[in-house]
Amino acid sequence: MATTTSTSTSSGTPVQARPSGSLHLDNLVKQYPGGVSAEPAVAGIDLDIRPGEFLTLLGPSGCGKTTTLRMIAGFETPSHGSLTLDGEDMVSLTPDKRPMAMVFQSYALFPHMSVFDNVAYGLRLQKLPRKRVQEEVEFALASMSLTKLADRAPNQLSGGQQQRVALARAMVMKPKVLLFDEPLSNLDAKLRVQMRTEIRALQHKLGITSVYVTHDQDEAMSLSDRIVVMRQGRIEQVATPETVYRKPASVFVADFIGRANFLDTSIEQLAREADGARATVRALGATYTVPAHDGIGPGSPVCLMVRPESVVLAPAPDAREVSGTEGRVLKSVFYGAWVEYEIETVGGNVTAVIYDPAPGDILDPGTFVRVSFEQDRAWLLPAED
Amino acid sequence: MSLDTLPAAALPAAPPPRRGSRQGGARMDTVTKLVITAVVLILAILIGYPLVRILTQAFGAEGLETLRNIATSSANRAVLLNTVVLGVLVGAVGTAIGFAFAYAQARLDFRGRKLLHLIALLPIVSPPFAVATAVITLFGRSGLVTNKMLGLDYNIYGLTGLTLVLSLSFFPVAYMNLLGMLRSLDPATDEAASSLGANRWKIFRSVTIPMLIPGFASCFLLLFVEAIADLANPLVIGGDFTVLSSRAYIAITGEYDVASGAAYSLVLLLPGLLVFLVQRYWAERRSVVSVTGKPSGNITLLRSPLARIPLLTVVLAIAALIVAIYVTVFVGAFTAILGVNNTFTLANYRYVLSGIGSDAMFTTTILALIATPVAGVLGMVLAWLVVRKVRRGRGALDFLGMLGLAVPGTVLGIGYALAFNKPFIIGNIQLLPALAGGGAIFGGALAIVMVYVIRSMPSGQRSGIAALQQIDPAIDEASTSLGASGLRTFRSITLPLIRPALLSGLTYAFARAMTTLSPIIFITTPQTKIMTSQILSEVDSGRFGNAFAYCTILIAIVLGVIGLMNLLIRDRRAPARVN
Ligand SMILES: Nc1ncnc2c1ncn2[C@@H]1O[C@H](COP(=O)(O)OP(=O)(O)OP(=O)(O)O)[C@@H](O)[C@H]1O
Ligand SMILES: [Mg+2]
Repeated sequence: MATTTSTSTSSGTPVQARPSGSLHLDNLVKQYPGGVSAEPAVAGIDLDIRPGEFLTLLGPSGCGKTTTLRMIAGFETPSHGSLTLDGEDMVSLTPDKRPMAMVFQSYALFPHMSVFDNVAYGLRLQKLPRKRVQEEVEFALASMSLTKLADRAPNQLSGGQQQRVALARAMVMKPKVLLFDEPLSNLDAKLRVQMRTEIRALQHKLGITSVYVTHDQDEAMSLSDRIVVMRQGRIEQVATPETVYRKPASVFVADFIGRANFLDTSIEQLAREADGARATVRALGATYTVPAHDGIGPGSPVCLMVRPESVVLAPAPDAREVSGTEGRVLKSVFYGAWVEYEIETVGGNVTAVIYDPAPGDILDPGTFVRVSFEQDRAWLLPAED
Repeated sequence: MSLDTLPAAALPAAPPPRRGSRQGGARMDTVTKLVITAVVLILAILIGYPLVRILTQAFGAEGLETLRNIATSSANRAVLLNTVVLGVLVGAVGTAIGFAFAYAQARLDFRGRKLLHLIALLPIVSPPFAVATAVITLFGRSGLVTNKMLGLDYNIYGLTGLTLVLSLSFFPVAYMNLLGMLRSLDPATDEAASSLGANRWKIFRSVTIPMLIPGFASCFLLLFVEAIADLANPLVIGGDFTVLSSRAYIAITGEYDVASGAAYSLVLLLPGLLVFLVQRYWAERRSVVSVTGKPSGNITLLRSPLARIPLLTVVLAIAALIVAIYVTVFVGAFTAILGVNNTFTLANYRYVLSGIGSDAMFTTTILALIATPVAGVLGMVLAWLVVRKVRRGRGALDFLGMLGLAVPGTVLGIGYALAFNKPFIIGNIQLLPALAGGGAIFGGALAIVMVYVIRSMPSGQRSGIAALQQIDPAIDEASTSLGASGLRTFRSITLPLIRPALLSGLTYAFARAMTTLSPIIFITTPQTKIMTSQILSEVDSGRFGNAFAYCTILIAIVLGVIGLMNLLIRDRRAPARVN
């Protein structure tokens, strides 16, 4: 942290950060010492993080998110690979020499220092003049609405306030990169949503490159410029939240982000167009033309992803059995804003979600319905082997 | 010498490293590397080199001869057997007393529990001879109780006396250990057992005792090693009952045969190291049983007279004995010859406080005061390295530090005499002048400070490790991530957070330094007089009054300095919560 920040401002107020903070990870590998045959915790990660970008690492427990973040911070030394920040090698630097600041899940406030001293800690290490430290800290506290609490000890604060102090302590350093390891997971649901908004707003204002680890999808979707979905130490997909949701790179991603129906199908026709591939497939007793993953060839095994909310149900008063496009409601659950159905079809069971159901419109189990889906919202991807 | 093992035993042994403490994965900064090098170098000089010298000496031609003798000659075999018998007896009796006190303290309902606790801890702050001389005065051939009151012709010298004295001196170790374990047992297990229909006695037999078995074993082993390593008591009250440590002492001071001394003490070293390793193994198991954190209920104290009366009778009788012993020391210091000529006198104090006595008092206190902060800080730094900084080789580093405790004092003293009596020369270059012995620099005081440091550092190390493991490693990392170097983080974050551990480490360090005898005997010089060895010569020549006076003064100094330290280092801020 020590190197970069002091030159950026002359007064105590932060300015729009310079276009720096471009982080480059090249084939980063971490093998923890232990069994020889053990899988590496991180098995080769390539990432280009743009200046000012908010990037989220998302994945199931144990997939190597924390390890990746700690390698960036310098708390773990990579077994292989390189890590550069604005072209400068980081691997050879100890954590304290890297222009980054980390926000911890446990907050990690210094329990023997007041809120003010906690936030001032890093600035004092840089030997900034007293007055300057005072100004910067007061500004940071004010922007997190902590001014009144400056003299409190950390154990006299609520969880949300502690998290705010931890944020202020990192932000006040104006690092090139901010690192977050599940910073909100100790807060209750409501506070989590509120802090999410605050973090995003602050990060936008300061324009600091941020890497954020979470396993909360909502958090990832609402905060990120791009999401990195990880699995067993590897990257499955890097893309904007919308792309990750609508065009997942693999069945794993589709399954991990949101909910999905996977229908067995085969390609009848494949066309490459300017905005991506399109395939004609048969599913649920009908023919659809759906957007398709670029990696799909004419003969490759595929799988059709249909999100529950793009399933369309229509009345089928004449139907007597499950066949063709007709299916039968197995289960129906009312959630208030939406109803969720489980429907038996020729292609297996399908989950459907209908938003804002009209009163009296809810289908009872046993009812026969015609099942289809909005073909532009479906997604054809390579089948998992 | 009662303090020699207390800290290690009284503090929870370090549980296996948590996954959280993974800072070792980071690239180390230069300062941290320098610190590690410096610490290893210091430890190598303070303990490694003397040990190496003892090994080379014991496995030299003469030493080997003695070692062979120990196995073959019947006299030596008897010494060996004596040593083992003494160790087993003291281990068993001391553990039993410790458990009786701990159980009464933790589970019995009676008035005066606090007082009983203090009485149980009394032997910790006492100099090595206090108990032995008082016991001789009370129960010896012309003892106050045995001879004057009961008219018996009773001989306390030998195995009985030794077992009594050593058990009383060392049981606080077992007491603290078992008390800690009893307190950390989750009351819910008791409640579960009783809800399944077990009565109190059944719970005691089938739940409490089995859970404490690792504790019993480690107490027994600790006391065993303490007992066989002790030198002061066998010299005073051993009579004809020779053990290895007194044999080594006689070999060196009487027969001037350093090689045999080294060989005898080598036999002491092995069980010491073995027990240390076994303890660590048990400690890891134990950490499964005694989970720290808030107990989830309240222990129901025993009120049934059937359990209370026998246990309390035993405990109170022993407590009364301890009190009698300390009263004897105190009264004896003001009496011409207690039991023979009971006139009040200040002559003992006059003798002790003038000339040699005040010299020794002054020198010992100064040297201990020099050694204490060094030992305290060294122990904390070592704990910090072990818990936070070093990943590969952390076990080895921890072990190296703990050697100061695991190595019996007799062995250490002989090692120092061997290592530092002559200048340390490689080729033609003199790396170190002679540090110990008559011709040494500072009259040999430096070697004594070194012994104090290495002997008392492990207590700081242990309490530091225990304290550090309570602190979220992310706190250190947060500091690093904000730009603080390793050393800076240690100074402004870690050290303030482990202040209580530092304080207790310093307290133990000082008390131990002041009461250490066995290593000192081998390196003390005419220029540098040490209180404990002065007491030995008073006792040797039968001037118990002077010895008692020395003992009371020593106790007063220890308590005084500990009190002062508490005042100086006490945290003035409100107690901070550690994440
Ligand atoms: N210090 C360590 N030593 C050995 N293995 C480790 C260590 N730290 C993590 N691992 C292993 O590396 C893998 C990745 O761990 P990591 O902490 O990066 O996961 P994560 O994605 O952050 O998971 P979570 O969401 O549960 O926090 C896991 O299999 C874990 O067991
Ligand atoms: Mg994690």
